Amino acid sequence: MDLNNIFFIIYQGLVLGSIYGVIAIGLSLIFGITRIINLSHGALIMWGAYTAFTFFTLYNLSPLGSIFIALVVGIGLGAAIFYVILKRLIGAHELTTLLATFALSIFLQELARLRYGLDYRGYNLYMGSINMFGYGASLSALYGGILALVLTTLLTLFLYKTRLGAAIRAVAQDPVGAYVCGIDVNKIYAIGIGLGSAFAMAGGVIATMYSPTGINPYYGEPYLLKSFVIVVLGGLGSVIGAYIGGLIFGLAETTLFPIYDYLNFHSPSSMALFTEFIILLLLLLLRPQGLFKR
Amino acid sequence: MMNSSKPILRVQDVTKRFGGLVALRKVSLDIFGGEKVAIIGPNGSGKTTLFNVINGVYIPDEGRIFYEDNDITHKPPNERARMGIARAFQIPRPFPGATVRENVAIGALFGRFGHKISLEEALRIADEKLKLVGLYDKRDELAAKLTGPERKMLEFARALAMSPKLLLLDEIMAGMPPGKVDQIVDLIKEISEKEGIAVAVMVEHVIRAVIRYAERVYVLDRGEIVLSGSVDEVMRSPKLREIYLGTRFREV
Amino acid sequence: MGLREVLIKHLTLIILIVIYVILWLLREVFPEYSQLIITLLYYITIAQAYNIFLGMTGYVDFGYVSYFGLGLYGMAVAITLSSSSNMSEYIAILLGILLALALANTVAGVVGAIALRLRGAYFAIATIGLSQALRYLIEGAKIWGGAEGVIIASDLRKIFGEERFSYATITLPDTGIFILTVISGLVMYVVRNSRLGYGLLAIREDEDVARVMGISTTLYKFIAFLISASLTSLVGSMWALKITAIYPPESFNIAFSVEFIVIVMLGGAGTVLGPLLGGSLYALSKYYLGTILPGLQLTIFSVLLLVIVLVFRQGIVGELRSLLYRYSFIREVIR
Repeated sequence: MDLNNIFFIIYQGLVLGSIYGVIAIGLSLIFGITRIINLSHGALIMWGAYTAFTFFTLYNLSPLGSIFIALVVGIGLGAAIFYVILKRLIGAHELTTLLATFALSIFLQELARLRYGLDYRGYNLYMGSINMFGYGASLSALYGGILALVLTTLLTLFLYKTRLGAAIRAVAQDPVGAYVCGIDVNKIYAIGIGLGSAFAMAGGVIATMYSPTGINPYYGEPYLLKSFVIVVLGGLGSVIGAYIGGLIFGLAETTLFPIYDYLNFHSPSSMALFTEFIILLLLLLLRPQGLFKR
Repeated sequence: MMNSSKPILRVQDVTKRFGGLVALRKVSLDIFGGEKVAIIGPNGSGKTTLFNVINGVYIPDEGRIFYEDNDITHKPPNERARMGIARAFQIPRPFPGATVRENVAIGALFGRFGHKISLEEALRIADEKLKLVGLYDKRDELAAKLTGPERKMLEFARALAMSPKLLLLDEIMAGMPPGKVDQIVDLIKEISEKEGIAVAVMVEHVIRAVIRYAERVYVLDRGEIVLSGSVDEVMRSPKLREIYLGTRFREV
Repeated sequence: MGLREVLIKHLTLIILIVIYVILWLLREVFPEYSQLIITLLYYITIAQAYNIFLGMTGYVDFGYVSYFGLGLYGMAVAITLSSSSNMSEYIAILLGILLALALANTVAGVVGAIALRLRGAYFAIATIGLSQALRYLIEGAKIWGGAEGVIIASDLRKIFGEERFSYATITLPDTGIFILTVISGLVMYVVRNSRLGYGLLAIREDEDVARVMGISTTLYKFIAFLISASLTSLVGSMWALKITAIYPPESFNIAFSVEFIVIVMLGGAGTVLGPLLGGSLYALSKYYLGTILPGLQLTIFSVLLLVIVLVFRQGIVGELRSLLYRYSFIREVIR
């Protein structure tokens, strides 16, 4: 264990964390604006992954290109989900919306299964490698991490520097107040869910840049569970919080693995996951509002 | 009728802040057993916050609250309920999915004598209280289906079923026609005298009721007690008009 | 009280018992449907157990599967231990039951202490965290066989003897599950009509007001939680004998919890007969959809679920109750 090794682990953690962050943003955004926990978040990520896969294998389009498709489709899909299903459930009992989004996730998963089957898919994305602290690091993963950062920055700028962004933040803080100010709250809800879904799908594309194989209808599940931890870490509803939470989470994952390996646990990756969920429980117990204020 | 030894409730220099807003500032008041007290004040004066602090929903930032000589400042609301403090909310909060009868029975089951009362007895007590407030006919309706005034009466019955020694009624007469207001005042007086319950009533506008019902009055304005005394003293005070200036109130 | 009044008052209980008797008779008379009926009982029992917490308090525990999983492991570990120390059959089973209860109550105790203080979404997320933490701990530290799981078929053969293997893996657990069905139904009936039940109802309807009225909300939630977790862990302990191979991913799979949330909601949360209705409907549709349209089962299920959530907010039994509460006997039945 030397210094280079440690730097490399930190580098990997940041790249992975950046990707986790952009993936978690979708969940946090939708909750912040509509107070709905979107359990279909994982399924949307999965569809983003399949998008990257399909466009690469059929049209040789790199994920840097298919991400735009994912974003556009995501917004449309999210708005549709709102108008068809979620519109009636705004303000309803939590249980109802949880079940509705869960049903949606099953539906999306089944669509994927019927279209692509259960076999693992993958595509051959090799963009080369780069020397990081003496280790070979995948360039596609690095691009993915950078792309994640770029998307997050763009979203933040949008939310804080545009009129529409201000309207969204207003609705997130106080829907009734925003309504009284003349903001079309339902439209904002649609846009919010659209953006959240878009980021989930884009997140799926970016995730394949980190690992372009192992795509199946349940691809999004682990990301969904991790997103829960990240979103609570960063504060439910905070975009920047989700991103930074993702970074912390990514760092934790990459640093915990060698520690558990060193301690001779049977499965260090499982132990790392275990730790992550314990952290979630501790957070909920001690500081449920997250590490960052909205 | 007043038990003039020690007060059943003593609020001592209570201050409650919400961020930068001071809702209650060094509020002190006493209520004696069996007494009928009115707390009046314009909108925003802090009345509901005061009730919340007495009830246990909020913990004061400064000051203490004594109930029957016990310091209850930090006691949770359920313990206070069992000690005999019952409350009717300003905006009624019945249990919507339960029937009217079940709502009131829950009051009996968990109030002062809760642990000694069986389910059957609780239902019987519920019927009794419902007859008192005139809701007996609707006892099997779902509480969600009641009208506004009916819900207020349900709140009242539910609080009564708890066998309280101190009853906090928040704006119970708001929105009621004058005939009904008199009815409620008579009911409160009757109950208070018969069972020796101390009653504190919050009122914003219906001053007519205050005059008929109260033995003592406290006036709350912007978080402070600015006036207190017997009904006559307070009602005649020029300060009262000042406080209410700009707010319409109904005269006798 | 006349006979009519007595009957009405206890109508729910009577219906409950009648249904249980019918189910038992069906199994005796039609042995070919035995496993279908056991599947039905599985769904009904766990739904009844879950209803005591979810239905009565309104808190959504996504990690509920953990108690079933701990029940599975409790029995499996006990069987493994008993086999290596040559214990008699009934001691082994008893040990399994006790271990299942001990594990479930320990975890439920911890969860209760931490999570029951949280509201709504936070509670739900915390319970997800818990079930996943358990699963990954078992895999990561290779507790109880880790990802390789626990396989007890040969241990059962050793303890019960070869001839009694089908007794151990079919007759015994089936009877156990049936007993649990009756027990959990009766427990729900007793709770619903007790002080605890009224307190829980108040908590579900408006927790803040419930506190103001004198209900010790934290204590009551905790009690309901422990009862619910214990009953499900017992079902898990019996189920271990049926499946004889237990692995972490299935034992802590959140989809299981969601299945039961759906069933409880479908039937009518907080009602005594709701889980019976919801569990039966669900089990039967799953079975028949599986034979008619295999492969499209889940798709149809998800669409149906969406429809139910959007239309029948109170579940079938709950909706009936709202519509017909005026009639006293309906009110008594649909409690």
